[in-house]
Amino acid sequence: MTRMNRRALLSASAVLAVAALTATAIPAQASEVGVSSTEIKLGITIPMTGSASPGYNKIPGAMKAYFDYLNANGGVNGRKITLKVEDDQYVPTQAVAKTNKLILQDKVMALISPLGTANNKAVAASVNPARRGIPVMFVNTGFSGFADVKKYPTTYAILPSYIMEAKIMAEYIKDNFEGKTLGLVYQDDDFGTDALKGFASSGIKFAVKVPYASGSQSAATAAGWVQKLSAAKADVVILFGVSSATATALGVAASLKYAPQWILGSVGGDATTIKTLGVPAAVLYNAVGASFAPATTDTADEYVKLFSDIYAKAYPGSAFDNNVLVGMNTAFVAAQAIKAAGNNPTRKSLLAAIDAKGASFASAALVPLNYSKTSHVGYNGYWFGKYSPTGDLKPVDGKYVLYTTDSGSGAVVKSTWKRPAMPAKGLPE
Amino acid sequence: MHKLSNRVRIAIFILLGIAIYFLSGAVDELRVYQGATVAVYVVGIASIILLTGYSGQVSLGQGALLGVGGYAAALMRIHYNAPVWICFAVAILVAAAAGALLGLAAARLSGPYLAGTTLALAVGLPSIANQFAVLGGEQGLLFDVGFPPLSFGEEFTQYKWFFWIASLATLIAIFWLQNVMRSRYGRSWKAVRGNDVAAELAGINLTRNKTLAFTLSAGLAGLSGALLAMTIGTVSPSAFPLALSFSLLTGAVLSGVTTLGGVMIGAVTLVAIPDIAGAVASRFGSSEAVTNNLPGLLVSTLLILTVLFVPNGPVEQMRARREHRVKK
Amino acid sequence: MIQLLNTILIGLTSGAIYALMAMAIVLVWRSTRVINFAQAGLALASTYIGYQVFQIVDNYWIALFVAMAAGAALSAFIEIAFMRLLLKHTSSGPIASVAPIIATLGLLGIVKAIITMIWGGQDAVIKPPLSNTGFSLGSSTLVFSPMKLAIITSVAVLVLIFSLFFQKTNIGLALRASAYAPEIARLAGVKVDLVRTLGWALSGAAGAVAGLLLTSNGNGSFSPESMEFSLLLISGFIAAVIGGLDSLVGAVLGGVVLGLVTSFVLMYISGSLFFIAPFVVLLLVLFIRPQGIIGVKAGRRA
Repeated sequence: MTRMNRRALLSASAVLAVAALTATAIPAQASEVGVSSTEIKLGITIPMTGSASPGYNKIPGAMKAYFDYLNANGGVNGRKITLKVEDDQYVPTQAVAKTNKLILQDKVMALISPLGTANNKAVAASVNPARRGIPVMFVNTGFSGFADVKKYPTTYAILPSYIMEAKIMAEYIKDNFEGKTLGLVYQDDDFGTDALKGFASSGIKFAVKVPYASGSQSAATAAGWVQKLSAAKADVVILFGVSSATATALGVAASLKYAPQWILGSVGGDATTIKTLGVPAAVLYNAVGASFAPATTDTADEYVKLFSDIYAKAYPGSAFDNNVLVGMNTAFVAAQAIKAAGNNPTRKSLLAAIDAKGASFASAALVPLNYSKTSHVGYNGYWFGKYSPTGDLKPVDGKYVLYTTDSGSGAVVKSTWKRPAMPAKGLPE
Repeated sequence: MHKLSNRVRIAIFILLGIAIYFLSGAVDELRVYQGATVAVYVVGIASIILLTGYSGQVSLGQGALLGVGGYAAALMRIHYNAPVWICFAVAILVAAAAGALLGLAAARLSGPYLAGTTLALAVGLPSIANQFAVLGGEQGLLFDVGFPPLSFGEEFTQYKWFFWIASLATLIAIFWLQNVMRSRYGRSWKAVRGNDVAAELAGINLTRNKTLAFTLSAGLAGLSGALLAMTIGTVSPSAFPLALSFSLLTGAVLSGVTTLGGVMIGAVTLVAIPDIAGAVASRFGSSEAVTNNLPGLLVSTLLILTVLFVPNGPVEQMRARREHRVKK
Repeated sequence: MIQLLNTILIGLTSGAIYALMAMAIVLVWRSTRVINFAQAGLALASTYIGYQVFQIVDNYWIALFVAMAAGAALSAFIEIAFMRLLLKHTSSGPIASVAPIIATLGLLGIVKAIITMIWGGQDAVIKPPLSNTGFSLGSSTLVFSPMKLAIITSVAVLVLIFSLFFQKTNIGLALRASAYAPEIARLAGVKVDLVRTLGWALSGAAGAVAGLLLTSNGNGSFSPESMEFSLLLISGFIAAVIGGLDSLVGAVLGGVVLGLVTSFVLMYISGSLFFIAPFVVLLLVLFIRPQGIIGVKAGRRA
């Protein structure tokens, strides 16, 4: 028995050793890891399977569609951009394993748009891109901490933080629904508690707050939320949760003939996702929603027109929704960062380029990017609109009214920022 | 089957340690990281083998106990700045205490009832982290064991450091576990597993035995959780999903739940499957839907094939076959 | 008052679906002494087949019927092609009690992976056949709609059919005999293999109905990763254990109790406790009455 143990352990160790030794090392690069004379490699970790994947698993495809378009138009300084996609199933352990694979085996130059707060925290602590000097361009989470340059020197936020969103929402409510009875449904984790912080700092008082455990949203639980909301006679209700929570809440409320003024948070407000979850557009009609990008139906917008054309060619018949638009936009901003990093981009020059020129990168968003040497905050504002009878989020009267703020105690202001024109053909200049 | 003396066993474990030391210098960083993950799995799988293989109880919620250990270690580090070894020790103790509680309940249950209870535990426990601010919510807590000592040189990577710590902890844990198995307790567990009634007739206290097995198993799970927390630098509810419990159980079955001998097989398989699946998928140019789901399909298929054809695990199978041949 | 009534109605409807799933689990347990952890996976597969049929014929009830048949066929196939082999290989030895649990978990993984490969990871929608708009009671609206009424009625009818079937035909006895003492049953002229397969087939059909009704209780959407389907496995199982694992009536009671308790906890305590509440209920039941609400003493040590 024990003899067997030893032998098995030894032989297994030997197997491991051989496997490890025969692992091929990629030949040394000329200048920088992940950059050759013809190609630049980027990597993304994101849930492609698992309960968190619906909606988000369209993002890598959207980014690839833009990069393919870019590559067909000469790439960046003659180099094609390729995107390595790894499925982390929204599990931090997997995120660390897959990020290690991207960095150590696939040898990507930089990480792009990795998703999830807990996942990014684990990657920052374990893989430690900062210590390796690896840029993490545009993490896909609204946790405000990643904009902290001291703590995460190579990481850049892009989404407005949940705190910003709550503060701006509070301002919007003061402007439009003064004196109404307010209700809030929120996910009882950091995503929701960040929002609570934002609302509290704005002095907004809720008549009823309904927390739900992440993953517990279903027709039965949502019926409970609606009971509580209607018992408190809330006539303006904020849904600050994920899409499936928004969808079930709206569906159940409709069946209970409870019709307050809904305000949807940006994470759970993507109309396409809500509609694919079986909610009729009519139920969504007239709800208030927030976005920093132009409306996806706004084909008069030059970015929306270009991106939706590219996407339709890449994936005929697929819906062009907010996840897709934001994914393509992120790819577009990344391409400009690489371009700005010079003829022979390195990780160092890429970081320097975002710090120096990031604030002036073109982007589809209607609010500015705020990158500098001392700030890794991306977008900092939202506009509010209402969902049309067909369930598309559109600005009221066709005018985008933008609010901007910060994640601290700064005031919420109406933005007068004007988006510069799109570079020719949507390619980095 | 003769037993090796303790002195020989210690020598073997030291040799293994030296082999691991040289191995860590010979391979690239990714393999070193994967080596650390293998060590995490080895301890986790061993905790299931102890419970299932030796005492016949099944736990579908081992991941939750890993979580208990991980959080205990992280809290010790954050609030008391305890050295990493103390953190591990506390992780083992706290998880063992949780296991003792669970074991008391488990001793009253068997088979499917126990499976269901532990399953519910695996689903319920992680969501507790969101109820208490001290546990850090969905983002979780950092668990930073610090950089390797400077005297190891500039080139010494963080992962090599993790690999060393994890390997050493694993070697000690497995050595200790072997001792337990060879003890009076180990023998009586085997008796219990074989036949409750007979064991009871022979004067073995079933409740105490089962509770003890659960306690020790949970302690090992706690160590595995602390090692996991070290390698990913954090603990958070999503780091200990139901899928982790299932993976560990799968690893234990692939290793063979009745002996410790094959424990490496399951651990290495779990770490290697995504790579293998990736290679297969790219070889055959599969679609995205197939590529993404291939690892899950492979693991599940392996699991079923193992249960069907080598239910006691490959190591036990080889031994049985050889003994069979010798007898002829 | 209306809130209390609605809380009860919410609990009853979800309880009815848990009950169906618990029945499916009990049927397999009674016929083969196996807890089928792949049950939720089979329910999902049947729901997808129902979805496919719904796409073609655009009739919910036909889709439901086909899904039931498909669920029964799938489940029977697994019993014949797989479980028999498994039970033969691992009928004795150290892992005899653990092997079926592990094997069905493996099946769950395979079924899920294959479903995702075929239908993709995105949500599919089967439009509920009846209105989900609640009935009015005075000026307030009840959490009870034609669809929910249909759900509860369907479950009640199925439960009735199953129990009649077992009472009138001795099938229940044969199931039990085949599981507990297959040799004796065989001597008594019971076609043990056939009876076992029948148990699995009935269970597959019940699971399929649970799956389809679950989607219709909400907006009609589902995906391979629907949280609700993973919960269906856990809730159904907890309900079955609460009910004693051996009794159909117990399974129904267990489902209703679980549905009501969860609904009351969410309404009157906090939505944060969703995942903890069932666990606490399970522990309480196991400690106070280890044999379940309806169960034979010492059944726990089976």
